[in-house]
Amino acid sequence: MEELLQAIVQGFFVGSTYGLLALGMGLVYGVSGIVNFSHGDFVTLGMYLCLALFSAFALDPYVSIIVVLPVMTLLGAIVYQYLIRPIAGRHLLMIIQLTLGLSLLLQNALMMTFGGQPTRTPSMIESKLFIVGDVVIRGSHLVACISSFALAFLLYFVLQSTDVGRSIRAVQQEPRAAALMGVDVGRVQVMTFAIGIGILAIAAALLLPGLPIQPNQGLRLTVITLLVFVLGGMTNFVGIMLGGVVIGVAEAVGTIYMTEVLGQLLPYLIFIAIMLFRPQGLVWRS
Amino acid sequence: MRPEFFAQLRSPVPWIVLAVAAVMPFVLPNYYLHIFTITLVYAALASAWNIVGGIAGQISLAHSLFVGCGAMLSSALLVRYGLNMWLGVIVSAAAAAAIGAMISFIDFRFRLGHLSFALITMAFAEMAEIYVTGTEFFGGASGLFLPKDTGDFFAFQFGGGRGAFWAMLAMTALCLLANLAILNSPLGYYLRSIRDNENAAQAIGVGLLRNKTLAMTISAVLTAIVGAIYARYLAFVDPYLLVSPTLTVEIILFATVGGLGSVIGPALGAFLLAPLGEILRGHFGGSLPGLHYFIYGAIVVAVILVSPAGVWPAIVSRLAKRGRQKA
Repeated sequence: MEELLQAIVQGFFVGSTYGLLALGMGLVYGVSGIVNFSHGDFVTLGMYLCLALFSAFALDPYVSIIVVLPVMTLLGAIVYQYLIRPIAGRHLLMIIQLTLGLSLLLQNALMMTFGGQPTRTPSMIESKLFIVGDVVIRGSHLVACISSFALAFLLYFVLQSTDVGRSIRAVQQEPRAAALMGVDVGRVQVMTFAIGIGILAIAAALLLPGLPIQPNQGLRLTVITLLVFVLGGMTNFVGIMLGGVVIGVAEAVGTIYMTEVLGQLLPYLIFIAIMLFRPQGLVWRS
Repeated sequence: MRPEFFAQLRSPVPWIVLAVAAVMPFVLPNYYLHIFTITLVYAALASAWNIVGGIAGQISLAHSLFVGCGAMLSSALLVRYGLNMWLGVIVSAAAAAAIGAMISFIDFRFRLGHLSFALITMAFAEMAEIYVTGTEFFGGASGLFLPKDTGDFFAFQFGGGRGAFWAMLAMTALCLLANLAILNSPLGYYLRSIRDNENAAQAIGVGLLRNKTLAMTISAVLTAIVGAIYARYLAFVDPYLLVSPTLTVEIILFATVGGLGSVIGPALGAFLLAPLGEILRGHFGGSLPGLHYFIYGAIVVAVILVSPAGVWPAIVSRLAKRGRQKA
């Protein structure tokens, strides 16, 4: 029972960051209709940038966000402007192929720069533990969870009640009408993609403490993000965060309760089961 | 079957190419024959993938699962139970077909157009890697060793490099033939209509589930057989090579660079890129691992931006233009 509670709490905390990863994807999908299959590789890139800053200047991953966030946001803007935009509006297959190529490019650039060995980046908060009742909470998980939800709320607020957010939502709903209302659709799309990649910089720093990282983990992160994204009903904020929690808890419970293989498969099995019986995602209106 | 199919088979060009390729084992030194064999493996995989990804427009990311099914299952059945590998190939091809059909059904339940197929197949590919590397029956993370190749054809042994080359050549020819046959049959038209507009295809009476499942099954069976021959050739079955989703990404990139949807394109892509990759890996594998993948990635991004249809259609249209100018 204690183990179960422990697993659920831990899964909830990690899952909220998965939710954040998928929010970035959902935002981009909603505005540009594209799904980025190099999503996980951008997260990995963010992690390695944090690692590089730690190795060079002994910067804590949380502090590195100050540098990594603008770098990744700019990179996102460049990638959209020069690689994705020329083929936007064509067959979706091409976007998938392009981003898969990008994934291979990023993954192996990291491989050539940092080598293939798993590396850990320490953080000042990593070893801090909080004990509530019988449940042990890692400091880094707590920070990750609180920041993820805070960011999700911030993003929601920005989308709902600022001009930038309104223009993003306008493009999301009806690009042509938005363009007629004087919204620069192309600029909004570049901006959303940049924000989507920027979010990943923060998520990378949140996930990093205590986690061994490898250049080839990107594809797996992409898959986890996709699971959450689809479970959440693609563009629904609440659904995506909920999907993140479901996948996070499934992962944690799976590794504790089941034989190693079955435990690791649990998130995928749950995904397939939900897809079979609730093809529209977890939340109704999406 | 349209008459073009038979006309293309009667043309001498493919037969001459096949004959020239078939004498290669007597001409090429071992290292280059090895590269040629690997290239044929990728050419066969890319053109088998083309049935689903190119003709039907369903980006399948699950093909590493089918390669793994053919390679790992038939090898495991041989190593663990001593089952004849020909039978093992049949069993694993049937398993691949069943999995392919199941994936198509799940995709049909959850329709998001082309996107859902990519998502679901990617989840399956990840599951396959986790499952195979964690299961003792398949040799776990360390893989399986096949018994020595003595050239006993009835035990699925082809007698080393030359035999494996011919077996792979035959398989590549079979995959290309399957592509040609599908493109010239009603199935090919149904699949292309699904690729171009799913809703319109359904409205004129093209059965989505039936045709997609058929394409996926044919592709899965071909891929599994290629996987088994590849495993026999390598003699060591490494799950991190054969069941890794990266393998699928490679296949897709080859097919994309060559030109999706055509018969020649995907195989051409493999012939352009696979030897390059093998040679780069041979020279820089120790000092700069990942360089060949990096270059693949760069090439595919460049090809999509410059000539989105791929290399082969670009060549064809240029030749056609020149022909018209002369006339």
